[in-house]
Amino acid sequence: MSGRFRARDQVAIVGYAQSPVTRHADRSLGALTVETARAAIADAGLEADQVDGFVTATLFPTSGAHAVVDGVSVVSADWLAARLNPNPRYAAGFSGLGQIPGSMALAVNAIASGAADHVVVHRALHNPRGSYHATSSTEFAGPMQWTAPQGFFGPLAMIALTYNEYVQRYGASREALAEVVVEARKNGARLPWSYWADRPLTREQYLAEPMLDDPISRFDCDIPIDGVAAFVLTSAERARDLPHRPVHVSGYATGAPPTRRLPAHWPLDDLVSAGATMAERLWASAGMGLDEIDLVQVYDGFSPLVYLWLEALGRCPVGEGHRYVRDGGIDSDRPGADPVLLSGGSLGNGRMHGVPQLLECYLQVSGRAGDRQRPDVTTALSCHSSPHLGGALVYSAEAG
Amino acid sequence: MTAVERPEARPVDTQRPVPVPDELSAPFWAAAARHELTLARCSDCGTLTHPPDLVCDACGSTSPRFAATPVDGRGVVRSWTVVRQSFLPGFADLVPFVLVDVQLVDPALAGQPDVRLVGRLLDGVDAPLSAGAAVRVAFEQLRPDLAVPAFELAAS
Ligand SMILES: [Zn+2]
Repeated sequence: MSGRFRARDQVAIVGYAQSPVTRHADRSLGALTVETARAAIADAGLEADQVDGFVTATLFPTSGAHAVVDGVSVVSADWLAARLNPNPRYAAGFSGLGQIPGSMALAVNAIASGAADHVVVHRALHNPRGSYHATSSTEFAGPMQWTAPQGFFGPLAMIALTYNEYVQRYGASREALAEVVVEARKNGARLPWSYWADRPLTREQYLAEPMLDDPISRFDCDIPIDGVAAFVLTSAERARDLPHRPVHVSGYATGAPPTRRLPAHWPLDDLVSAGATMAERLWASAGMGLDEIDLVQVYDGFSPLVYLWLEALGRCPVGEGHRYVRDGGIDSDRPGADPVLLSGGSLGNGRMHGVPQLLECYLQVSGRAGDRQRPDVTTALSCHSSPHLGGALVYSAEAG
Repeated sequence: MTAVERPEARPVDTQRPVPVPDELSAPFWAAAARHELTLARCSDCGTLTHPPDLVCDACGSTSPRFAATPVDGRGVVRSWTVVRQSFLPGFADLVPFVLVDVQLVDPALAGQPDVRLVGRLLDGVDAPLSAGAAVRVAFEQLRPDLAVPAFELAAS
């Protein structure tokens, strides 16, 4: 068992659309998703009746008491299919945490197997009215009974515990994390669709921000938004006849936590050990290693995840991520740097989950990045979520 | 374990969320009400775990018949955070408070996978804290019949 992905570079991304990212959209999430999907299908040079596959992940990542209503707070593959091309040959939803690698994998597998010819992969994120994470629940059954009564609740405390373990062990400074957040916001400020368009953040602003859950401040967290992105995938063979340069999926992998833990408890060692095996599976699947990847885009929904992804992928040794980003190490404007947040990330776009990383890889490899276009990007890698519960995808300009 | 008498141990008027015990968790919460920390011991392989699950993580038993087994409640701090804004009811008057990520060190856990708990540190936000600091379990009495585990610094 080599782990090599047999459908390597046989399925390609051939079009996309990204909605404006706003705090609250002026129409329903469902309507925004239909519009965005239609735009992506048109971008790919296709008609809606040619789309016979729909894939998404509907995770609504709130710990608050918000209703999950299809078309309103989430948009499922079935909901979108019913409004674009009813009764498709294939419709599926990914239910894990690494939603972009997970749903892209479902789409790639469907096309490679012939279960569908043209698949729309979309991701629709909603920002409900009221506090995103707060709850008024006074009783917790199931897994949360082990944490909520004790006061351990919500993703801020989750990442604060993980990151403080990192800080204590490796001596990471707030100044280093400032470099991450300022870089994400700088790149995000250049994106017309971003919530943070034209609004970069200064190092001084970052450092002046009070703590929410030490050592995490508001600027270390992506902001909840309404936003939708859609991508169209088809076979490499069909992609040749479509208008844009195709970007092929070379392989993918997702992490596997080594130990069952309390809900939302992410011990640092779990992320490190699972991240290492995730990366091994990724290189085996894609049939290439890190040194063959021209552009890496790491996930940053919480800023410390940038270090953990850099380390999991082997860009630097474990515990060195906070040094790697210093002194312009990831500055997209510095020649020779490693621009891992060129996409603006979630910190620079808003809570689009792993979409910005996927989108930047697509735009750069297809040569469609406009002012941000970098020369000679023929392979790329995007990450989503954490190295132990999320995953990554590798892309190539070359057909398999 | 003997309950430590401290102000926090007395029932307080609180809107804090409470657990809803189920078949797997009821023995834990019954022991906690007596201020006794227990872990779930698999009847097939003897591994201690927390929280108990439907299948034993260690031996794969689908009938682990977990036994709530007292442990000494000692642990070391692996990480912590100061929570300054709680998303839960009943904590508004308690912020800022410290949450600690604790690896239990009861000798019964030697040679088996680590067991980690997360709970409040009752010594306050100014207590000296470092990775590896020794703590022991304490209990917050939320109702006469309900106590939830927390921690306090232990003299090393
Ligand atoms: Zn067992």
